[in-house]
Amino acid sequence: MVSTRKRLPAPPQPGPRQHLLKRFYIPLMLAPVVVVFSSLFLGSLIVALLQSFGYAPLYNVDEFPTVRHYSQLISAPGFWQSVGLTFYYAIVPTIIGTAFSVYLALALRRRFYGKALFNYIYKLPLMIPYLVGVALIILLFANGGLIARTLFQLGLIESTRDFPRILLSHGGWGIMIVYLWKQIPFTTLIVFSVLIGLGPESEEAALTLGASRWQTLWHVTLPQIMPGIVSATIIVFAFNFGSFEVPFILGAKISPFTLPVEAWRAFDDADYTRRLRAMAIVMVISLISSLLLISYLSLYRFYERRRGRV
Amino acid sequence: MSRRRHPLPWAIGSLALFVLLAASLLTGRLALAAALAGLGGVVAILAVTLFRRHQGGPQRLSPFQRFYLWFVGIAVLGPFIPLVIASFAFRWNWPDLLPSVWWWTARTTARTPRGWDYVFSPISRVLESTANTVIIALIVTLVCIVVSLPAARVIARENFRGKSLIEFFLLTPLIVPEIAVGLGILITFIQIGLAGSYLGIVIVHLIPTIPYMVRVLTSVFQGLSRDYEEQAQVLGAGPLRTLWHVTLPMILPGILAGGLFAFLVSSNIFLLTFFIGRGRIETLPTLLFSEVSGGRLDPEGAGIALIVTIPGIILLIMTERFIKEEVFAKGFGG
Repeated sequence: MVSTRKRLPAPPQPGPRQHLLKRFYIPLMLAPVVVVFSSLFLGSLIVALLQSFGYAPLYNVDEFPTVRHYSQLISAPGFWQSVGLTFYYAIVPTIIGTAFSVYLALALRRRFYGKALFNYIYKLPLMIPYLVGVALIILLFANGGLIARTLFQLGLIESTRDFPRILLSHGGWGIMIVYLWKQIPFTTLIVFSVLIGLGPESEEAALTLGASRWQTLWHVTLPQIMPGIVSATIIVFAFNFGSFEVPFILGAKISPFTLPVEAWRAFDDADYTRRLRAMAIVMVISLISSLLLISYLSLYRFYERRRGRV
Repeated sequence: MSRRRHPLPWAIGSLALFVLLAASLLTGRLALAAALAGLGGVVAILAVTLFRRHQGGPQRLSPFQRFYLWFVGIAVLGPFIPLVIASFAFRWNWPDLLPSVWWWTARTTARTPRGWDYVFSPISRVLESTANTVIIALIVTLVCIVVSLPAARVIARENFRGKSLIEFFLLTPLIVPEIAVGLGILITFIQIGLAGSYLGIVIVHLIPTIPYMVRVLTSVFQGLSRDYEEQAQVLGAGPLRTLWHVTLPMILPGILAGGLFAFLVSSNIFLLTFFIGRGRIETLPTLLFSEVSGGRLDPEGAGIALIVTIPGIILLIMTERFIKEEVFAKGFGG
């Protein structure tokens, strides 16, 4: 077929119009996403920021720039307790969930009977809203819930009051169980997909060279799936730190509330000027969350550099 | 070993033992707790000796892993059993383990529609919310694909200054709390009249869906060689014909995967819909919120929770079919 190849037309020569196209090709292609994103995402953050510093012509408030809302917020009783509570509800499920997920992902790599079915089952919580988890938790763990009833039938407790408060208490175990139920599948999926991408070669090599199971896990597998673990924990922690509906329903009904619940309460107040305080709160949430994540990321970078991978 | 022992009874048994132990500790019955702990120890020793010989090389599950998988499966699916029972209850008072009056017996005597009758009546707004959820998610998915496709192509193929900055910028919604974005947008939308409208909800749903879509589509373009497009152009096809006849058919599976992802994220959003919908537009998550926000769950709430789960099951089956696990790795594994 050499003869036909000779008759192929020459590749199109770039004319002046195409030069222009080429020059603006990248900006033009990026434009839609960047425009939509900047106007929505950055725009809303800027609006919130301006309002938190006292610029709100909508409610006839214009004291820009003032840090009054921030200073009032920080000096308010229970503010630091709120911060602590928000952090506690966010970090505990992240750590417990990651441990459970890594173990699950490692188990999922093995061969076992019913694996295809299990692949469907464990992902179900990923697909449904947090509020379904809330409904399930209420049914099971409320003081008049099924577990309390079972204990009563077994004669272990005498009334609903004897059952420990798992919901509507500052201990927050109800909140954290919902987070775990919903997020373990997410983290597992990410870690598992990284494991699949890696393949078993390096682990097999370590085992062949005489490393024990633990050594292989600790020195070969875990370092390799670290990037996946880090991105999953970042997403999960950031979500928990800013989550609203779960602590709003399952959290204690007396102060301190978590920061997002506090923000909604201030925003929903009949007094519209309290909305500026809500904006200050969400700015504090974003600030604390990003500071924590940045320090976490630099810690991870430090770890990778120590290992000599970057 | 003549016969493989099934670990399911062990899993259920040790779970029950654990709950009992915790309960007796919490209610201050130390003697019982000690007895249970002793029993637990005996069971553990028995389990280890019974399952030890099942190990069959590194490819097989260890007994504890087998137990753990059962535990996860039960923890995921188990709670749905009482939810189904609760949805068929009419009266279910403390301390009954099963409803004392079922829905179907009380159905004709109740003055207002109860249980599933309520769920399927127009008063509950279930059908309306389902339609809203699906329509909004479909539109969001389409807009999201159109907006993200060009950017994903450029990010996957070209090198330019500020590329990593843009990539980071497009991931920030996963890190910045939704409530911060939500309140700012709500204020703006109230001013320009988009609050409480479908358009407003579709627009805000773009924020959490675009990051996933861009990641998935970028990995799709990275896996697609330029050769085919170049061959088409060498053979004389214009840019539009190349796009339509070569590029799009090749990335279609990837678009489907990204679209499923965006649909999934959009249909699960509560907070942004709650803020921007302002009670005027209900989706399934906001409807369920008003059912459970009091901290109680009546049979009607249980029914609605089950209805809210159904789209999730459909999406689960579709994602298992169409999305390969590696897509997630490319998206987040780094």
